[in-house]
Amino acid sequence: MKYLPLVWRNLGRNPLRSVLTAAAIALAIALVCILRTMPAGLDAILASAAANTRISTHNEAGIVYSMPYSYLAKVRAVPGVVAAISWNWFGGALDLTKGVEFPNFAVDPDGFAEVYADWGLEPKVLEDFRKYRDAALVARQTLEKHRWKVGDVITLQSTVFPVTLSFRIVGANPNQGGALYFQREYLEQALAGAGVQFDTTGMIWSRVDDPERVAPVMRQIDEMFRNSEAITSTETEKSFIGNFFGGLKQLVTIIQIVAALVTLCIVFIAANTASMSIRERVGEIAILKAIGFRRQTIFSTLLAEAGLLALVAGIIGAVAAFGMLKALQLYATGAGPQLGPLTAFAVSNAILVQAIFIAFFIGILSGWVPALGASRRSVAQTLREVF
Amino acid sequence: MIDLVNVSRLYHRGADEIHALERVSLHVERQRFVALMGPSGSGKSTLLNVLAGLDRPNSGEVTVAGKRLNEMSEDQLAAFRAHTVGFVFQFFNLIPVLNGVENVELPLLLTNLGKAERRQRAETALRIVGLADRGDHRPRELSGGEQQRVAIARSIVTDAELIVADEPTGDLDAKNAEEILSLLQTLRRDFAKTVVIVTHDPRAEKWVDEVIHLDKGVLLEKRPGGAARGAAGAAG
Repeated sequence: MKYLPLVWRNLGRNPLRSVLTAAAIALAIALVCILRTMPAGLDAILASAAANTRISTHNEAGIVYSMPYSYLAKVRAVPGVVAAISWNWFGGALDLTKGVEFPNFAVDPDGFAEVYADWGLEPKVLEDFRKYRDAALVARQTLEKHRWKVGDVITLQSTVFPVTLSFRIVGANPNQGGALYFQREYLEQALAGAGVQFDTTGMIWSRVDDPERVAPVMRQIDEMFRNSEAITSTETEKSFIGNFFGGLKQLVTIIQIVAALVTLCIVFIAANTASMSIRERVGEIAILKAIGFRRQTIFSTLLAEAGLLALVAGIIGAVAAFGMLKALQLYATGAGPQLGPLTAFAVSNAILVQAIFIAFFIGILSGWVPALGASRRSVAQTLREVF
Repeated sequence: MIDLVNVSRLYHRGADEIHALERVSLHVERQRFVALMGPSGSGKSTLLNVLAGLDRPNSGEVTVAGKRLNEMSEDQLAAFRAHTVGFVFQFFNLIPVLNGVENVELPLLLTNLGKAERRQRAETALRIVGLADRGDHRPRELSGGEQQRVAIARSIVTDAELIVADEPTGDLDAKNAEEILSLLQTLRRDFAKTVVIVTHDPRAEKWVDEVIHLDKGVLLEKRPGGAARGAAGAAG
């Protein structure tokens, strides 16, 4: 500890260089903290979004391919299925030039309350959703984003079907994707008016009575359509959403690899800085050795310089990451509910501690070779060369 | 205090062999002020480094303050230098990020003294060299003469028996050079230090007890300096 003031003073020898090195390390550490929260954040989103007894049936070829609407009745008849509804992507846009701003689906109102029992929709809302053919349940974040309220009428022009429909908002839903749901029958009638036959469904969502029966029910559904015109693939909601996040997870993996490489670059930058800093005072180090500082002491103080700088930078980086994610959380829960899923991205204490440890490790790694070289240099030779 | 017997030091520079010291034998009594003189490359700095425990001879025996340096490990030599030798260099070589008193305190970090005790000793050393009021100044805020005084304070703060100085007046004007030589003589006389300096400065001769001349690594001459002659004259 008695060498700490010397170590600290040496760090202040070239303040700009120390600050820039610390900034580089802090940035890398902030990046590491933020990226380390992503897998856990995605898992949290998945866990919060998915119910363990809700399953999805879609065409095995992919969700863009439809299935006969008649499948719905067959799925509803499978033992263990409490309720099932069809889903059709409407692709409605408020303004075609802006494209589809939020997902919107035509669904069966019968069974909707059972399939989404965990949403806790009020009976009055469910009653209105069934009662009015043009009723729509809009996600809270979409309502707030567009400053709509219950009773408002909105118009969506479909990018899939040749129709434009107006909807009466009857209530809000907690869907984190911002989705709007309306009655399938409303779309069916509009399409009939346009001379278009509508007898398919994009997906079927069902609820199973018991989590233990989810797997056999899924197998039974797919077995039922094995030899039909549209072979199905049934999966849990968690698996379904996970597939959506699958690409994102790969992206996160790539980003994490890049972050690791950036961290490695920072090690080299810090090592170069430590090397420059030590090279500039080879003479001073020789003087310290001349007056009796042992090699081990020289090595330790030089290493402590690199470690201390990186440690301080690591703490700054970790605190910055914590602050940024906290601010994002506050923003997502308060000012911008459409960012609801982002509330799951919280940096844990474990990640903060790990990041600070990584920073310290960067410092030690970067300082090791230059410090070892300086401590091993012959005093007499250095004095001859330098003075 | 210092006993060197047949000390040789050989350097390799590329394919060339440089005989910096050739079979040098030397005896210096305690509490003497000795100047090592000679042309550049004569081996005087190498001799100083060897007797201060900074460099090892290829052959010969080196005994300083009763300790045989030949057999010491690097760490033992470092401990020997910390406790027995005080160093003064031509370019002062103070640590620029520390102020005067902190520079003087530096060798005391190697001891078990507490912070307050270290500070008190450093201030005492600065008082001895006449810089009691300049301790809070950084080296760049001090003149050359003042910096060399701080360096001398650093060399005596551990109460080392031997003070070695390599060209201590080499970077100073005449007035400051005289003051530094006078100060070194005071250390010898009033604080019982053995002082060995390497110098080209002919003014040093009148302050020292002995002048040792080297050339091409060989000890050519050992004769009394001005201080010894003055003392002998006063005695006669």
